[in-house]
Amino acid sequence: MDNPIVGTRATQWKNYAIAFVITAAIFATALYASNYFNNRRIAEIRTTQDNISIDILSLETQFELLAEHSCKDISENSVLSKELRPLADRLSYLENQSSVDEEELLRLKRYYSLLQIKDLLLMKKVATKCKLKSVFILYFYSNKGDCKDCENQGYVLTALSEKYPQLRIYSFDYNLDLSALQTLLSINDVENTLPALSINDKMYYGFKDVADIEKILPQLAALDKTATSTAKKSVR
Amino acid sequence: MSGIGDGVVYTLLFISLYFEVFLLVTFLEKRGERRTLSTVKYAGTLPRVCIVVPCFNEEKTLAHTMQSIFALRYPREMLDTIIIDDGSTDGTPAVAKTFENSGVRVFHKENGGKHTALNLALQNTDAEIIGCLDADSSVSEDALMRVVPIFENRDISAVTPGVHVRKPKTALQHIQNAEYTLSVFNRFMFAALGSVFITPGAFSMYRAKTVRDLGGWRHGHSTEDMELALRMQENGHKIANAPAASVYTATPGTLPGLFHQRVRWTYGFLRNFIDYKFMFGNRAYGNLGLFILPTALISIGVGIYFFLRVLWYGIKNIYDTLERIQITGIMPHFSFDLFYFNTSALLIISIVTIALILVLISAGSWLGTGRRMPPAGTPLFILLYGFLVPLWISTAVFRAVFKTGVRWR
Repeated sequence: MDNPIVGTRATQWKNYAIAFVITAAIFATALYASNYFNNRRIAEIRTTQDNISIDILSLETQFELLAEHSCKDISENSVLSKELRPLADRLSYLENQSSVDEEELLRLKRYYSLLQIKDLLLMKKVATKCKLKSVFILYFYSNKGDCKDCENQGYVLTALSEKYPQLRIYSFDYNLDLSALQTLLSINDVENTLPALSINDKMYYGFKDVADIEKILPQLAALDKTATSTAKKSVR
Repeated sequence: MSGIGDGVVYTLLFISLYFEVFLLVTFLEKRGERRTLSTVKYAGTLPRVCIVVPCFNEEKTLAHTMQSIFALRYPREMLDTIIIDDGSTDGTPAVAKTFENSGVRVFHKENGGKHTALNLALQNTDAEIIGCLDADSSVSEDALMRVVPIFENRDISAVTPGVHVRKPKTALQHIQNAEYTLSVFNRFMFAALGSVFITPGAFSMYRAKTVRDLGGWRHGHSTEDMELALRMQENGHKIANAPAASVYTATPGTLPGLFHQRVRWTYGFLRNFIDYKFMFGNRAYGNLGLFILPTALISIGVGIYFFLRVLWYGIKNIYDTLERIQITGIMPHFSFDLFYFNTSALLIISIVTIALILVLISAGSWLGTGRRMPPAGTPLFILLYGFLVPLWISTAVFRAVFKTGVRWR
C-alpha cells in the first residue's frame, strides 16, 4: 500500500454535490424510519384502545344481562384498569417524541380519556351493585409546563398502583378539549390548582406522596391483602 | 428551547456526517486512480537527505530512535544525520556523543525550542531533502524509500508519513492508536484534496530549498509543524502523503500526560488558525480554505457542544431518577418492551455517523498497514473519545482566548 497522493487544491464541486445528496438522503431515510416506527406505535395504541372499547362494551352488556347473580364473574373479569395504565405510559412516552403526529396523538388521548371515564362509571356501578369496597382515585394534571409537581405526582401514583394493583387510578389532562372530561371536572368541582386528586369523591390539591395517600385511605392496607388473595386466585 | 436545541443538534450532525461522506466519496474516487510505487524497483537518482533528531532530555529514548535511523534502507553516504541537543540537562549529550563514530553529527545549543533546533540543522546541511524524527519516535526500514521518490515531482515541497502509536499498552494508548489510524486516512485525503495543514513532526520530509526560501521554521505557538504547513499552503506549495511510510511514536500512557500534549496541540491549532484566518472561506485556497479549515474549526465547537449536551442530560437524568426514588421509594426498572425502543431520527443518524467513522478507521488501517481490520482500541475510541476531547479543547480554547501560551513540558 504505497499511494503517495497529492491532489490539486481546486475545489471539487462534483464531490461536494454528491456528498450533499448522500447526506441529505441519509437524513431523509432516518426521519422516514423514525416516523414509520412512531406510526407503528400509534397504530398499536389504537388497536389496544379499540380492544378496550370492545371489552368495556362487552362488560356493560354482561353487567346488564347478568346483573342479579354474577358479581363474582364481573369483578374477576374486570382487568381494564390493568390495561389502561400501560396505555397511559405509552401515550406519555409518545408525547415526548419529536416526530409524532400531534393531531393523531391528541385524538388518541381524547379516546383514552373517554375510555377511562366509561371504565370509571362502569366500575362504580359494579362496586355499588356488588358491594365492593373499591377505591377510586382521579388524578388531574397539566403538561403545559404550569405544574411543576405533576411529573412527580405521576411517579407516586404509578408506584401506588404497583403496590396496590386493585386500586383504580384514572389520570386526566386538565386542559384536554373533551366535553365528557369537562363535565367530569364540573361534577367534581375541580379547581385549576394542579396536581389535583379526587379520592373517593373528595378533592385534594397539591402534591401528595405515597404516605399522604395511605393516610387518606387507611383501607388500602386491607385492599393490599385482598389483592394478594385475588392474585393467587387468578393464577388458578 | 428544545426546538432550538434539536435544530442545533441536527445541523451539527449534518455537518459531521457531510464531512465524513465527502471524504469517503473522494476516497473512493482517488482509490481508483491510485498508482503504486515500487520501492524496490526505484531507479532514479537518490537525493541527499538530512534527518534531524532534536533532543531535550531524551537520554532514555534517543538510542532507540537512532537505531531505527541506522536500519533505514537508504545509502548511508546519502544520509546526513544530525542530533541537536537543545540544552538538555540530563545524560542526552553523552548518549548523543556515542553516535558520532557512526557518522552522526551532534550539535549542542542553549535551549530555544524545537524550531530553533531544526533551523540550526537547516543552516548546517547541504542535503536536498530535510526532515525531523522526534527522539520519542522510530521509523520503519522502508519509510524513507517510500517518501523520497515522491520528490521527483518538482511541484511537491513536502511529504507526510503515516504516523502510528508505538506498542500501545494502556487503554488510553489503544484509544490513541485508533485515533492515529483515523488520522492516517484523514491525512491521505487532505493530501488528495491539496489541503494538508499539518506536517507532523515525526518524519515529515521537506525540500530544504523551500524551507529556506520560506524563512525556516518558526515557533508557531509550540506547533511549528502546523505553522510551516500553513505557510507552505499560503505560498502555493504542494504537500503529498505516503501513508505506508510508517513512523511509530511514543504516546502518553496517562490522562494527565495526554491532556498536557493535546492542550498544546489544540492551543497551537487555534492560535495558528487566528494567524492564518485570511485562508478561511477564501476561494484562492480551494478545498483548504472553503471546506477543510472551516470544518476543522467547527469540529472544535461540535466536540464541546455534544459533550456539554450529553453531560447536561446525563446529570439531569441521574438527578430526576434520584428524585423519583426519593419521592416514591421505588427503584426504577427498565422496560424491555419493544414499544419503548428508541427509534428517534437523532439516534439513527448518530449510529450511521459512528458506523462511518468505523469505515474511515478501517480505510486508514488499510492505507497504513494493508490490513482492513481496525485497531483493537476502536470500540473504546468510539465510546470514550468524545468525552476525552472536550477536556483539552475547553482548556485550549480558554488559553487561546487569553493568549496564556503553552509549554512543551
